[in-house]
Amino acid sequence: MKMRLFALATASVFAAQGAMAQDMVFTSWGGTTQDAQMAHWATPFTEKGGSPVVADGPTDYGKIKAMVEAGAVSWDVVDVEYDWALQAGAQGLLEPLDFTVIDKTKLDPRFVSDFAVGSFYYSFVLGWNSTNFPDAQPATLADLFDTTKFPGKRTFYKWSAPGVIEAALLADGVAPDALYPLDLDRAFAKLDTIKGDIIWWEGGAQSQQLLASGEAPIGFFWNGRLSALAADGMPVGISWDQNITAADALVVPKGAVNKDAAMKFIAEASSAEGQAAFAAATGYAPVNIGSADLMDAAVRATLPDAQTAVQINADMAYWAEHRDEIGNRWYAWQAQ
Amino acid sequence: MLSAIAAARRRSGLVLALPAILLLLAFFVVPVAALLTRSVTEPEWGLQNYVTLLGSSTYARTFFNTFFVSGVVTLVTVLIAFPVAWALAIMPRRWASVIFAIILLSMWTNLLARTYAWMVLLQQTGLINRSLMALGVIDEPLQLTNNLVGVTIGMVYIMLPFMILPLMGVIKKIDPAILQAAALCGATKWQALRRVLIPLAAPGIASGALMVFVMSLGYYVTPSLLGGTANMMLAELIAQQVQSLLNWGMGGAAAFLLLVVTLGLYAVQLRFFEPKESR
Repeated sequence: MKMRLFALATASVFAAQGAMAQDMVFTSWGGTTQDAQMAHWATPFTEKGGSPVVADGPTDYGKIKAMVEAGAVSWDVVDVEYDWALQAGAQGLLEPLDFTVIDKTKLDPRFVSDFAVGSFYYSFVLGWNSTNFPDAQPATLADLFDTTKFPGKRTFYKWSAPGVIEAALLADGVAPDALYPLDLDRAFAKLDTIKGDIIWWEGGAQSQQLLASGEAPIGFFWNGRLSALAADGMPVGISWDQNITAADALVVPKGAVNKDAAMKFIAEASSAEGQAAFAAATGYAPVNIGSADLMDAAVRATLPDAQTAVQINADMAYWAEHRDEIGNRWYAWQAQ
Repeated sequence: MLSAIAAARRRSGLVLALPAILLLLAFFVVPVAALLTRSVTEPEWGLQNYVTLLGSSTYARTFFNTFFVSGVVTLVTVLIAFPVAWALAIMPRRWASVIFAIILLSMWTNLLARTYAWMVLLQQTGLINRSLMALGVIDEPLQLTNNLVGVTIGMVYIMLPFMILPLMGVIKKIDPAILQAAALCGATKWQALRRVLIPLAAPGIASGALMVFVMSLGYYVTPSLLGGTANMMLAELIAQQVQSLLNWGMGGAAAFLLLVVTLGLYAVQLRFFEPKESR
């Protein structure tokens, strides 16, 4: 009897483990963005017969590297920055994507590579709190660096990533088509002129808090975070002039347990429907060219893909190649 | 005979400590050793990571910041904790336990939540600045975050219980008659404090201060959110190297230097401040 109970117990433990192994783990940055990813990608994926999806996070590049090296990868699909995806793919940290499962013919070619497809794309845009600037409103990136015309603290993304360096160069008068290779000396010299007035934001929620409270009445933001503030009725101004695009990517770490499910999940996430629903919920742009037709015209007008005329694409390949070099210099400059 | 008993005791003590030792070995010593190995093997064999760390003015500044901020935090914590611990020690027991519970309560709240709360209170448009301006105490908002002031306030608040606890233990043991004796011998209150109470409480101050200083050296969340990049501390440097740049060699080297300093400080404390009888 005892023996039988034991056998039953072991069997059920193994069964439980089996069920757990089938759950696919999707890791992203948390907050409203990941909520929308779960609601518009994971839920339909599971309803259509895919495996259950468990959310984890936040994304941590050090962790991905550690898991791959240890051969114990518990994340199946991870939302990462696109330039990091290119670099990590070249370093052998990622599984090549299966484009027999993922339909890349419908994807914006800017955001497809062997190891990554775009998760969504966004723009860094100039934003401000209108209550702080009742008279003249900021309009260009040069205004972002002009502390006499628009006094007060300004807030920028803290981590080394495409966006702020480009903004500094553009504000300094560099022509958009002459941005790359990046003139780092010139960019840091420009940033030096406002260094004492910079408050860094580490995550989207913090950027919203800084702007809404007026702590930093002007800054350089992910467009979706400004849309969310505006939707909440906050007095927020947005200038799309020279908005700088960057993208997140979906990747599969090398040795992921549920590789097949991961490919199918990415297929669902990058589908026209998945991208359209996510874009409508977040204010970020779809990477699937079929999504536009599925969306409300009024909603589309608020997304970065309606602003291509005044848009500048951050060069992801350049960043992937120079990520470490720029990063070391960036952090050293910040700490000075 | 006596030494045989002592030896047997030592053995049984070792057996009891074995689970803890094994746990530390498996989940602390081994991973730390692995990280340290990487500091001399990545990107290639050699000490180049240490040369970079110690040779660059930026990293030197980060080291200086780490010790400076930890020192300021420790000093302020001692200054605030001492009167609190004294008051708790001489207070009626019931009151003391209520206040003590309030102090402990703060330790049970999530660190990140507490730090964000400070951000909201301290920022230029925050409660403190607004209240002071409404009262007419100041005309311009004070800069209380993104600088040393912000880090110090946020960290002192977190560290206080770790200072009050050891201090209270020591102060409680001081016989109140000694202070009376000091007064009878003509000592002013200031003299009694400076020449009697503080020397007697020194072991508590030392162990509390060391604990606060060492914990501060490795702090990440609070300096990162309240300090701004000009006050970057070592833990943040390690996070950048490991998480953003995937440069585990440098991260490991920085972690190793931090560990050496911490162990060195511990050795100093053992040598100079440990009560004689417990040796």
